[in-house]
Amino acid sequence: MGRRLKFNIFRYNPQDPDSVPHTDTFYLAETESMTLFIALTDIREEQDSSLQFDFCCRAGICGACAMMINGRPNLACKTLTKDLPDEITLMPLPIFKLIGDLSVDTGTWFREMNEKVESWVHTSKSFDPSADEERMDDAVAEEIYELERCIECGCCVAACGTANMRRDFVGAVAMNRIARFMLDPRDQRTEAEYFEIIGTDEGIFGCMGLLGCEDVCPKHLPLQDQLGILRRKMGWSAVKELFRFGK
Amino acid sequence: MAVDTTTYVPAPSRTSAYLDWLQMLTGAGLILFMWSHMILVASVIPTPRLMNAIAHFLEATYMAQVGGPIIACTFLLHFVLAARKVPFRVEQQSTIWKLSRQLRHTDTYLWLIQAVTAMVILIMGCIHMWTVLTDLPITAAKSAARIQGGFWLVFYLILLPMVELHVGIGFYRIAVKWGFARRKDRKSFKKLETYLTAIFVAIGLMALVRFLTLSV
Repeated sequence: MGRRLKFNIFRYNPQDPDSVPHTDTFYLAETESMTLFIALTDIREEQDSSLQFDFCCRAGICGACAMMINGRPNLACKTLTKDLPDEITLMPLPIFKLIGDLSVDTGTWFREMNEKVESWVHTSKSFDPSADEERMDDAVAEEIYELERCIECGCCVAACGTANMRRDFVGAVAMNRIARFMLDPRDQRTEAEYFEIIGTDEGIFGCMGLLGCEDVCPKHLPLQDQLGILRRKMGWSAVKELFRFGK
Repeated sequence: MAVDTTTYVPAPSRTSAYLDWLQMLTGAGLILFMWSHMILVASVIPTPRLMNAIAHFLEATYMAQVGGPIIACTFLLHFVLAARKVPFRVEQQSTIWKLSRQLRHTDTYLWLIQAVTAMVILIMGCIHMWTVLTDLPITAAKSAARIQGGFWLVFYLILLPMVELHVGIGFYRIAVKWGFARRKDRKSFKKLETYLTAIFVAIGLMALVRFLTLSV
């Protein structure tokens, strides 16, 4: 303890025509169990009330506080300053629209992504509110839940070489989303329908396997495994079509 | 700026999938070829007679005359397929370099190495194939004479590590991309990749030294 931390923080307000992108430096005395959330709040309270950043749950659940911490995307609320060097550089996530300073709009991107992969259970059954809930196998439910843990923070997209170079690439978060519905027995979509969404160069075949997503995901989702499974599934689905004669 | 001005939806297509398959299969084929190639060349290390015998067998059965051009075509096809992913635009180049420096992420760096070595191999590999295939038969004496000339020694000292890096990383990349290496296997696959690269570079260097010291 007792360290004096130096913060280099990206500053820019796109709403203000006079604002120019630059870095501001702040100094802060480190306290015990200090997270970046605590540090940023302290800076805003004590040093610069105009500093913009997003927070909601402070517990790694909402995904609002993702930012580039010394070059790597992570959640500020679950990053302890004791794990960082004396000098800490904070930048907003790339790809997403900048609201100001460290605050980005992930919502628009994620809405678009969820619409693109049709991120809901597709079923022809009509819902009967008085009927018993349909039973699901425990193992399947667990498997779905494992992928459902995604908090849509945007770290995987920010760390993805492909997504940074090609804005039409849907990113690991979308593949994880699709993989979740493929597991779900309630979703009646066929493999061909999934293929139409994700079997493209904007989808799974655009992935170059750099695994930035896997290595930065703050929820440790099994992205590498899911991407591998999806590539094989979609790959085989295309090969099967090749050998299907007639209808 | 991307403005959606289309009034139609593009027809669903399986092209991306087929191209990705081809990229992987040509890559895997070339990896296997490069490893066997290195082992065959290394046959000069125990005795040049062994290398001559293998070379003679490959030519007598026309495997060199037919296989050579097939490998050359596969090589060029693999380049064209993989080049779909290589950033040729300045903006994309600067993005990926900046991101790699920021992230300090090994696998992203490895991909940059793959892309850079690819360009070197494209040119030097073509020169190598042309030189060897237009001057059949392959004999240990001819190879040794070439290496002892000096120019070709430098040429192969550059080409050897480029090829082995590209092949080693490619092997690892195919494994993670296609799900052969799962999360739990990733570390050991990477270790395997490093060892394989080091072993093949070592074999290549030993063969070069052997050619260099062979009395012609």
